Amino acid sequence: MAFERDLNNAQERARKIKFFGHDIHGVLTTNTLFCDQEGNRRYGFWHMDGFGDLSFVANDIKIAYLDTTSVDGEGLFRAKELKLDKFYYAVTSKAAKIEELKQEYGFTDEEVGLLGSDLSDITAMKKMGFPVAVADALPEVKDVACYITNAPGGRGAMREICEFVLRAMGKWDGWVEKVTKMGYK
Amino acid sequence: MSKTDAVEKAKKVKFVILDIHGIMTDNTLYYTQEGMKSEAFSLHDMQGIKALTGAGIGVSFLTSKVSRADEQMGKIYGLPAENLWGSSAKIGRVEEFEKSSGITDAELCYVGDEMIDLGVMKKAAFSVAPADASKEARDVADYVTTVGGGKGVVRELAQFILEAQGKWDAFVAQFK
Repeated sequence: MAFERDLNNAQERARKIKFFGHDIHGVLTTNTLFCDQEGNRRYGFWHMDGFGDLSFVANDIKIAYLDTTSVDGEGLFRAKELKLDKFYYAVTSKAAKIEELKQEYGFTDEEVGLLGSDLSDITAMKKMGFPVAVADALPEVKDVACYITNAPGGRGAMREICEFVLRAMGKWDGWVEKVTKMGYK
Repeated sequence: MSKTDAVEKAKKVKFVILDIHGIMTDNTLYYTQEGMKSEAFSLHDMQGIKALTGAGIGVSFLTSKVSRADEQMGKIYGLPAENLWGSSAKIGRVEEFEKSSGITDAELCYVGDEMIDLGVMKKAAFSVAPADASKEARDVADYVTTVGGGKGVVRELAQFILEAQGKWDAFVAQFK
């Protein structure tokens, strides 16, 4: 069942969230693996997506790195650098992990959000209040999203969704003012 | 903000402060399989920084935390180590600099792209944002470069400032 992608509806849903998850590749990265001739690999992460995650944490929205895709532990490298590794989970099923965390923290379905890009996101997205997708998500994923970011994965989608949610909650301006004065790390 | 206003402001600039991520880099942090972090800088900016410092305009980096890659790039770009500033309380760091150097807001140029930069962008008389900066930063900026972060922002800015100050031709003449 596809949600109607209506902006007011998405804002309404965003206002209720207390818990927000995302995978690594295709969301924080462009889904690119750079590999040189010796087999050395590297992965590019959008810098300001870290600000998105840190902003959620600072505004009492619990986050989760639900990593199904890392090859060399790169998702954990990124989470560690942001000192968010306590919110990092290497998982095979995002839906199962979200269910578990919901039980643990006592969140309801409508208090949960996920920024999805791939087929592995769909099951979880169908059972939550605020399922959103990156601009270059698969069509099947967009079908179950209530909002789609302007940015594709690895180009600031998490930064964008953070602003969308905090604006819907009326917290954005105050947060920006605080960050402008005090920094956020 | 009109271009004429930006030129008038650029004429007075004696010191340029550069945020690193999204200005000097393409907004991306690259991690190797061992977890080593790297960043992508522009060689165009090396020329921009050399043009500014050669014309007697000071340049510093201001970022939340100076990484080892930033230190390396400071060396490659020819900046003294004391001009690499790491602080997420950016306004406080700039005020400290003004006290010790005697440089005033009217003589400052700041280049930023995000929320954390807005305070200093409003403080410095001449504020600049890259083409792909956040909307808030572009709205505040006196000048928005035609290129995005990591693609020669400082090279473009250096030309803009030195042309405003009538020093660009002298810089170019060295290469002829």
